[in-house]
Amino acid sequence: MTPAYLLRRLGAIVVVLVIVSLTVFGITMVLPGNAAVMILGEWATPEQLAALEERLGLDRPVWAQYFDWVGGILAGDWGTSLRLQLPVAQVVGDAIANSALLAVTALVAVTLVAIPLGMLAAIRRGTGADLGIGLVAYVGTAMPEFVTATLLLVFLAGPSVALFPAGGFVAPGESVAGFLAHVALPAGTLALVMTAHIARQVRSEMTDVLGSDYVRAARLKGLREWTVIRRHALPNSLAPAVAVISLDVGYLLGGIIVVEEIFAWPGLGRLLIYALENRDLPVIQAITLVLALVYALSNLLSDLVIAALDPRVRYA
Amino acid sequence: MAAPPVLEVAGYTLDYSTPAGPVTALADVGLAVARGETLGLVGESGSGKTSLAWAVLRYLPANAVERGGSIRLSGEELRTRTAAEILEIRGRRIAMVFQDPSTSLNPTIRLGDQLAEVLVRHRGLAPAEARGQGEALLARTGIARPAEMMRRFPHEASGGEKQRVVIATAFACNPELILFDEPTTALDILTARQILDLFARLREETGVAALYISHDLGLVSRIADRVAVINGGRIVEEGPVAGIFRAPRRDYTRALIAAVPRPDVRLAAPPPDPGAAALLALEGVSVRYGGAAFLSRLFGARPAVVQGAREVSLQVRPGELLGVVGESGSGKSTLARVVAGLQEFEGRVGFRDRGYAGRRAFDRPYRRAVQIVFQHPDGSLNPRQRVRDILSRPLKLYGLVPRARLAGRIAELLAAVRLPAEFAGRFPHQLSGGEKQRVAIARAFAAEPDLVICDEVTSSLDVSVQAQVARLLVELQARTGTACLFITHDLNLVRQLAHRIAVMHRGELVDLFDTAEAETDARHPYTRALLAAVPVPPAAAADPAPLTGEPP
Repeated sequence: MTPAYLLRRLGAIVVVLVIVSLTVFGITMVLPGNAAVMILGEWATPEQLAALEERLGLDRPVWAQYFDWVGGILAGDWGTSLRLQLPVAQVVGDAIANSALLAVTALVAVTLVAIPLGMLAAIRRGTGADLGIGLVAYVGTAMPEFVTATLLLVFLAGPSVALFPAGGFVAPGESVAGFLAHVALPAGTLALVMTAHIARQVRSEMTDVLGSDYVRAARLKGLREWTVIRRHALPNSLAPAVAVISLDVGYLLGGIIVVEEIFAWPGLGRLLIYALENRDLPVIQAITLVLALVYALSNLLSDLVIAALDPRVRYA
Repeated sequence: MAAPPVLEVAGYTLDYSTPAGPVTALADVGLAVARGETLGLVGESGSGKTSLAWAVLRYLPANAVERGGSIRLSGEELRTRTAAEILEIRGRRIAMVFQDPSTSLNPTIRLGDQLAEVLVRHRGLAPAEARGQGEALLARTGIARPAEMMRRFPHEASGGEKQRVVIATAFACNPELILFDEPTTALDILTARQILDLFARLREETGVAALYISHDLGLVSRIADRVAVINGGRIVEEGPVAGIFRAPRRDYTRALIAAVPRPDVRLAAPPPDPGAAALLALEGVSVRYGGAAFLSRLFGARPAVVQGAREVSLQVRPGELLGVVGESGSGKSTLARVVAGLQEFEGRVGFRDRGYAGRRAFDRPYRRAVQIVFQHPDGSLNPRQRVRDILSRPLKLYGLVPRARLAGRIAELLAAVRLPAEFAGRFPHQLSGGEKQRVAIARAFAAEPDLVICDEVTSSLDVSVQAQVARLLVELQARTGTACLFITHDLNLVRQLAHRIAVMHRGELVDLFDTAEAETDARHPYTRALLAAVPVPPAAAADPAPLTGEPP
């Protein structure tokens, strides 16, 4: 991989973000009423509105407002939340941290569970283990996360069982055990769907690789089966799985919105729903940009990981 | 007491159980290979030759059922060995060299590590020690800078270099027996020759016993001491190479020998009128491949350009068969794609009295007059269409016969390629490889072309089928007066069929000559190197039986 390649990819991300920012900004222009209306409420007098509009700069040309907004974001000033009366950077920043904890926990769980499951299914192809994993994977993929979440809540957090708290958040800095207890169900919900997805991908890749000429050649060298799998089959099966994981980040970004709401997890998803309900435009805009950036970066990261796994992949 | 043979198979019978009942793959097979000896095992696809290799290596699929017999390695029965014992034997006492080094090497592991892992596994060396030994092994196979080759990945090495690594790996633990499964078919002519020479030298040095599996009797005759011919799971004939060629005892062996292409057995259609105007004339045709995608260009990526053909000029006369030979990447298929109108080019293609300056200039009459037959009929015949639909397509497209005559014309076409008329109702998957290729040829001739391009049309077929298809093609050509651009890497075959031969090398036309002058001094050095790498197989017994129908 060349520095020029990396620069090109980062350049492409900037283009994507510009397009997203234009879209987001455009929506706020199309929506009826503006920030001044929202702040002052329906009963404000035209004089009050005009005064506030002038203070907020809403009377200036559209392009000037856009550049002000983008310039502010670049300078670290993301504006002020209309409802919470707090700086957007602070509100969104806290939510990002909480959501990242949830998403990373889910991704780690998926990686630790899905890859071995997929391997096992491929190695024991056609046996009961393979069938069982396949069945769970189908059900897991078919079930929407609000159903999974509800089932988990009822069976693991119901008043009679109460193995886990039904919702809420404890920062890992306060209490690691408390954090783990609270993160288990929401992360589990997200992980279940992705596990199904990724385990199936790993199984199908691994099956192909196990049938390849070079795995046969490795076996006919007299290598032990575990060496064949670990050295020859596994690394070559992972690259496509990584691509799927990065696509799943897109799913994850949607999934956290639902899951955070259900489990009262104070992250981006919850904040987004709150902002949408209250038409808190600066917050909506900031979250949308952050989600786009995360998605673009995760795609880049997955391409880099794939290049590290497969020496034939050289980006130039 | 004499030492037992290194490999001895006796009375060995193997079935595969299938939903339709057991299928016999090997029946009462017996053969022996002594130390320092090479036994060639020759058979067509489905003959059971590969099943025998798997049986020896104890690498049989789950549905294999061994019905009896013994497989002995230096006197020890292998069939009763446990899986753990077999793991100790594989790679250490029996090694294997595969057909295609680009698929038998793991693309994500450095060549050196793939070689060293055998030494670590079987000789208990530490990884660093094993790499040192690996370098020595690579040097023995004639790799110039072994230390550097050890660090490369498979895609960073040429086909010949990769096959040398595979051979070094096979010889790493000084095995008693090596199985070769068509180790040169995926390689270019000159590389294949070097690999065969290397094998001969290593066999000299180590005294290894070898079982050399191939479909190519001509090739096996160059390296084996003895040949066993296998057909339908049975060894039909076995003996010294010279004897098999001079006095084959079985009809099947005779048919196989007769099918081996031999330049002195001319099959060509009558030569074209030397005074006739050229039918096809390429003038300074060049092709460049490569170019960056739009978005990459936007961000400054520079396109990597590969020259597919460079200033090629040649002519084909009416009724002539011009052979085009060259190694992979020489540009011979690029030429086929240009003439077929599948590839953009610079320069000029003249056809009869018209000239075309680019791919888009080719008009309907040109596209009808120039037809192409591809290498793999599986890819070029639509699997969802019946043979009838496949053949009627050019007939309808160019309005060649009235609707009422369609069925009759299809029957004629099938008869011309010696297929029964009822094949019209079949799908491609219901035909054998040779039959499919005949349908592809019939489709090309259906358009009543003046020129047919044949791009490696015989190379995916068995030797005997290959001979039938080649004969059929020449016969059709002689009957219809169609010219042919015959692209191949098989020198002996092209010397049987062609009137003139063009030699391509790295995109350039380096030589063009009358077939009769193939061995004169006027030849380009590259042509001479190619011819030297592919010796003419030994002469057959007098009056070889002609091949008729499918082999028994």
